[in-house]
Amino acid sequence: MTAPAGPRDGVEITVGYRGLGGMPDRLEARAVEPAEGDAPPWDANTPLRQVGGDHDRVDGLAKASGRAKYTSDVNLPGLLQAAILRAPIARGKLVQLELDAARAMPGIAAVVALKNVGSRVRFVGDAIAAVAGADLHRVRDALAAIRADYEVEPHNVDWLRGEDAPLLDADGEIAEPWPEAVALEGALALAATTHGATYRTEVQTHSSLEPHGATARWQGEDLEVWSSTQATFGVRGELAQALKGRGLRVGAVTVHAEYVGGGFGSKFGAGVEGLACCLLAHAAKAPVKLMLDRFEEHTTAGNRPAALLQLRGGLDAEGRLIAWDVRSYGGCGFNVERGDGGGNVAVPDYYTRAAKTRRKHTDLPADTDPARAMRAPGHPQGWFGAELFLDELAHKAGIDPLELRLRNDSQTMRQDQWRFGAERFGWAAARARPNAPDARFRRGVGLASARWSQLGSAGRPPHGVQCRIHRDGSVEVRSGAQDIGTGLKTVLALIAAEELGIDPKLVQAFTGHTGDPSGPGSGGSTTTPSLSPAVRHAAFLARQQLAGFVATHLGADAAEIDCRDGTVGTRTQRLAWAEACKLIGPNPIDVRGQRFPNYGGKPFSASVCGCQFAEVEVDTWTGQVRVLRMLAVQDCGLVIAKKLAESQVLGAMLQGISFALHEQRIMDRQSGRMLNGDFLRYKILGSADVPELDCVLMTVHNGHSSTPAAGLGEPPAVAAPAAVATAVFHALGEPVRHLPITPDKVLAALARRA
Amino acid sequence: MTVPPDPRAGVSRRSFLKGSAVAGLASTGLTAAATAADGPTTFGPGAHDIVLTVNGAERKVAVETRTTLLDALRDGLDLTGAKRICDRGACGGCTVLLDGQPVNSCLVLAIDAIGRPVQTVESLAQGDLPHPLLEAFVHCDALQCGYCTPGMVMSSLACLQQRGRPTREQMQHDLAGNLCRCGTYGRVFAAIERTAQAGGK
Ligand code: FES
Ligand code: FES
Repeated sequence: MTAPAGPRDGVEITVGYRGLGGMPDRLEARAVEPAEGDAPPWDANTPLRQVGGDHDRVDGLAKASGRAKYTSDVNLPGLLQAAILRAPIARGKLVQLELDAARAMPGIAAVVALKNVGSRVRFVGDAIAAVAGADLHRVRDALAAIRADYEVEPHNVDWLRGEDAPLLDADGEIAEPWPEAVALEGALALAATTHGATYRTEVQTHSSLEPHGATARWQGEDLEVWSSTQATFGVRGELAQALKGRGLRVGAVTVHAEYVGGGFGSKFGAGVEGLACCLLAHAAKAPVKLMLDRFEEHTTAGNRPAALLQLRGGLDAEGRLIAWDVRSYGGCGFNVERGDGGGNVAVPDYYTRAAKTRRKHTDLPADTDPARAMRAPGHPQGWFGAELFLDELAHKAGIDPLELRLRNDSQTMRQDQWRFGAERFGWAAARARPNAPDARFRRGVGLASARWSQLGSAGRPPHGVQCRIHRDGSVEVRSGAQDIGTGLKTVLALIAAEELGIDPKLVQAFTGHTGDPSGPGSGGSTTTPSLSPAVRHAAFLARQQLAGFVATHLGADAAEIDCRDGTVGTRTQRLAWAEACKLIGPNPIDVRGQRFPNYGGKPFSASVCGCQFAEVEVDTWTGQVRVLRMLAVQDCGLVIAKKLAESQVLGAMLQGISFALHEQRIMDRQSGRMLNGDFLRYKILGSADVPELDCVLMTVHNGHSSTPAAGLGEPPAVAAPAAVATAVFHALGEPVRHLPITPDKVLAALARRA
Repeated sequence: MTVPPDPRAGVSRRSFLKGSAVAGLASTGLTAAATAADGPTTFGPGAHDIVLTVNGAERKVAVETRTTLLDALRDGLDLTGAKRICDRGACGGCTVLLDGQPVNSCLVLAIDAIGRPVQTVESLAQGDLPHPLLEAFVHCDALQCGYCTPGMVMSSLACLQQRGRPTREQMQHDLAGNLCRCGTYGRVFAAIERTAQAGGK
């Protein structure tokens, strides 16, 4: 922390990680070239006092006490409520739209069309018009008074019934032959064990608990918007673009998202609801709030697309994968026709480095709400198929699934994680414990790997963070990016406190206002790794200025001044932090740090690595699966806020169980409407379903920047469904290849076995 | 037509809907009910002021018959701790205590809460020190996005008040109506446990 500022050409740092449990350390020296003016790198030998500690979430009390104001909570004088008229048909054309009756209704302030007559309707729930009024009752009455007529066309909401969908047999296996591939057939012919099967997952809705929506207020030419979003700057740009016709310029738009009730990938844009809210507020000349209801959330606000994967592969006599053939399909709604399906399915590539491989993917359309990115897009689906397939292959070959992973996994870090995790979980004993043949409850254990390849970036132009030190000793750090529950505020505060050598309680972090320096959208687990080095740089610059004041005061050389343990000074002369800050004038130290590009060269690890283990119990009478316990071993880059990082991992495990066992959008083929668009019939995991969870965080100095944190949104979300599914396979002796693993499928699997 | 409020007495939804007598009305807490001097009481159409007893204070709020307690709290009184997540009794995000019992306030009509003590999450941070349960939530990091959290806190509070030292099964049971998409359940149990151990309710 005391390395000098200024140009450096080549600094040697120690990257890697210390071994968990009895595992070996994997530390190595690496030369990196920090950008001129950047803070010096923290590496594996930097003693850190705050970062990685057991600190509380800085906005925890505001949230728990109900004081935190989310977009949905904004109350303004004269605020109107609003809602959207939704198309009741899945495909066709809007041929008439009559809004005057609604406009004339009591308590209605504005009505706007969201679709022009003649436009196409693409799914049940497509937005047609919107109404703002005194309260939602009146608004709903007015929506009912709008006359919208449609030209109805035949629709298909079942993505596996479309023209290009592959043919499935009665067991759900793809019935079409594999296209020829000489190299692959050759490898398969050499294999000692081969296997092929089809795996399937259903549409999962994001189900963020705070709905999508906005509150908008115009003041003259200026637009102020509160948006439940994971991309404040994205929303700002999108609205300015959409409202350009009204003379709106980006600089006149302010977006607030101080607290966001979850996003999981579905909240990158203002969406039609955000735009409608602004249009209504403009027309009504009054502030308007428009939040979606739960049915709209399930049916119009995006989802994780369904997936179908066909895998075949082969092991040689030593249990090494020598052939690996994957074709996949994604069911992602009408946007396939627009050319941006987003249904891609990812599969692990670290098992198959030595294999002949082939990979093909096709997105399939349907007349449904388009897919959106959802927590590790494509990964939980693909990892479920791939890991269960590997277990089946191992079973055929008579190899323990862990052993198969160890023989094939090309990532050293995960090799260590597998070994450590297996030990901690008690894998060998649990795996060997037999179920009595006639037992009602059967137990099983499974495992799965995870990988996520994002280490954050500088942004273009680079992201920044503001840091101010005030003469009262308080510190302010500000990012315009949003904290959607991941803990960005806490991360910013801890890193600034570390750099300044002070108690984090002295630091206040602000996020989610576009008046502050720009940051990334919270996607791809990039916010923390992108902004950690930026806040570090901001605090680093602020510290240098403070050191200047203190040096003058002490008559010392500024280069000798450091900040630690709440004091500032030289080796021999030190001032308490509060005293040092009194040297600051009436204007605070006010600097903007920036995110420099990642160091050149290869980082220690270019992806984030993990693995998970699960134990389940299956009731063979009812077909119900209960997860009893789970363990995650998770590479986190540099852990910043330990408790918060754990929360992310634990939460991802639960979301994964929920995906594996419960979640499924059910469409009515006839009407094209979702049948279970509420929380009564769309089941997400609840308190009664929670197993014992264990998670072990691994700090990995990947050496990508001065402050090498990793984001934890996606990495731990990749393995969980697969770990559950492989455990169910172990318990039943028969795989269930179609998520969610509901009782009917379990009973069918048991019947197959019998 | 103004009837003096008496927020201590209640009115049941049934007697109210049947149309209670003026004598009955005097004890309902309605302050602006449109009623004939000798006829049955009516309420609506349109909004009327009622008095709710929220966090120990009497609060006047304009509601219609169809206004839920949740909307009266959020939109009328700016008590936005309770969240509207499903509006159908499926998520528990709107949990408040009514007569000391946890209820989904989206399923309670505001007029049904007249004369009955309503406790919202905001009450737990009114004093100088936050309630120990809130501190436990923060300490255990029993929240992520925090949107379900006020509801979780109120269900946890009821669980503690009713059971003292709940077992894990009892917590799982008592929180079964509260959904959390971020997956904080385990840490919510830890927060309840911590509060119970410290003897806080
Ligand atoms: S909002 Fe009341 S239970 Fe969901
Ligand atoms: S903390 Fe986000 S929904 Fe519970």
